[in-house]
Amino acid sequence: MYKKGKYRESDKMSDLICDNYPMVLVMSRFGIDLGFGEKNIGEVCKQNEVDLNTFLTVVNFLIEGKPVQIEHITDYISLEVLIRYLHNAHDYFLNFRLPHLRRKLLEAIEGCREEVAFVIRKFFDEYAEEVNKHMMYEENTVYPYVKRLLKGEKDPRYNISIFRKRHDQIEMKIIELKNILIKYYPGEGSNLLNSVLFDIFATEEDLATHSLVEDYLFVPAILELEKK
Amino acid sequence: MTSNLKIAIAEPSLLLRSGLETQLKRLTGFKVQLVEIITAESLFESLRMHKPDVLIINPCFPGNFTPQLLKEESGCQEMKCLALLYNVIDPALTRHYDEQISIFDGINEIKSKLEGLLVSDIPKDTETEDTQTLSTREKEIVVCVVKGMTNREIADQLFLSTHTVITHRRNIARKLQIHSASGLIVYAIVNKLIELEDIQQKI
Repeated sequence: MYKKGKYRESDKMSDLICDNYPMVLVMSRFGIDLGFGEKNIGEVCKQNEVDLNTFLTVVNFLIEGKPVQIEHITDYISLEVLIRYLHNAHDYFLNFRLPHLRRKLLEAIEGCREEVAFVIRKFFDEYAEEVNKHMMYEENTVYPYVKRLLKGEKDPRYNISIFRKRHDQIEMKIIELKNILIKYYPGEGSNLLNSVLFDIFATEEDLATHSLVEDYLFVPAILELEKK
Repeated sequence: MTSNLKIAIAEPSLLLRSGLETQLKRLTGFKVQLVEIITAESLFESLRMHKPDVLIINPCFPGNFTPQLLKEESGCQEMKCLALLYNVIDPALTRHYDEQISIFDGINEIKSKLEGLLVSDIPKDTETEDTQTLSTREKEIVVCVVKGMTNREIADQLFLSTHTVITHRRNIARKLQIHSASGLIVYAIVNKLIELEDIQQKI
């Protein structure tokens, strides 16, 4: 992970991205496109109507590389904006990252024994379905709950601790796939297969940081909101 | 083999904290996840929330606590408490800690102290080669699991107790780092322990 001082409003957006390339995904999940020229972070956020505090909090949290509890977190982030960010991340995983990885994986294992290709494909599909379920629960249950809470409607049947308890680590199973390919893949190695492995490593990390944002920014903010 | 290890560091000095973190991240054999605790106010709350396996704490950290109190209050009875010492200190202050590390310890000393504390959960480097690969019995069990048999059925077929089957399954998961049934299917097919037709009706 990247160790750098905290980024501020007046820092150039291009510096942020070049120094910490995973932030390109974060930026895009906030709805900011490339091509921002020499503008600083504050200007780019304003132009794209993105809440600056939320953006900086998420970016600095991720760049820090380790989870730190932030007191009075609702002062620094807007939950509406964070939900949109998380939703866009889900959309990216489900509709781009995983299907893309699947296509590449299938192409890479084309040459190996048919039954091996079959079980690997099946494993991947089960995994993708698990991720889908996990994310859809958040989309269909958690976010609507938070949106009601933001309007001041308390729900006696649900609270965020329920989510916190069942929030499992979705990157575990992709780690298994990675282990299987690394240790037991029976066919010949190829550049394509290596590239698939790189993608899996990156996806694993991306999913892990996604969970960190949920556990350390999203959930604590809702806990604060529930107490109000 | 890599074990996951969640370590909380309660130390007010940024320089010492980050120095320690850098070293801990270099530990081989552990996948270290770090939690930083900077203020006395967040000490108990952080421990309750993260439930670390190990707490490295400066005994002079502000606030009233003893290792015992920390373990009880945070609901982590299993957590190991290590005192982080800057210099010579009255032994009465550190005797309740599970272990102590000095800021002059090298990474190998820290590693062996951690391993000493976690001895029951962590396979040692000295384990022989065969404990890393599956035994014949374990392979038989993989085949049964992949066929979709329950622990009871496996026990009956192989004349074992269910308890033994469960122990074998735990060892298999640890050795292969594969925890799901579908992961085991891939393992079994790739290693030709089983033919696809044998399990086709299950999948």
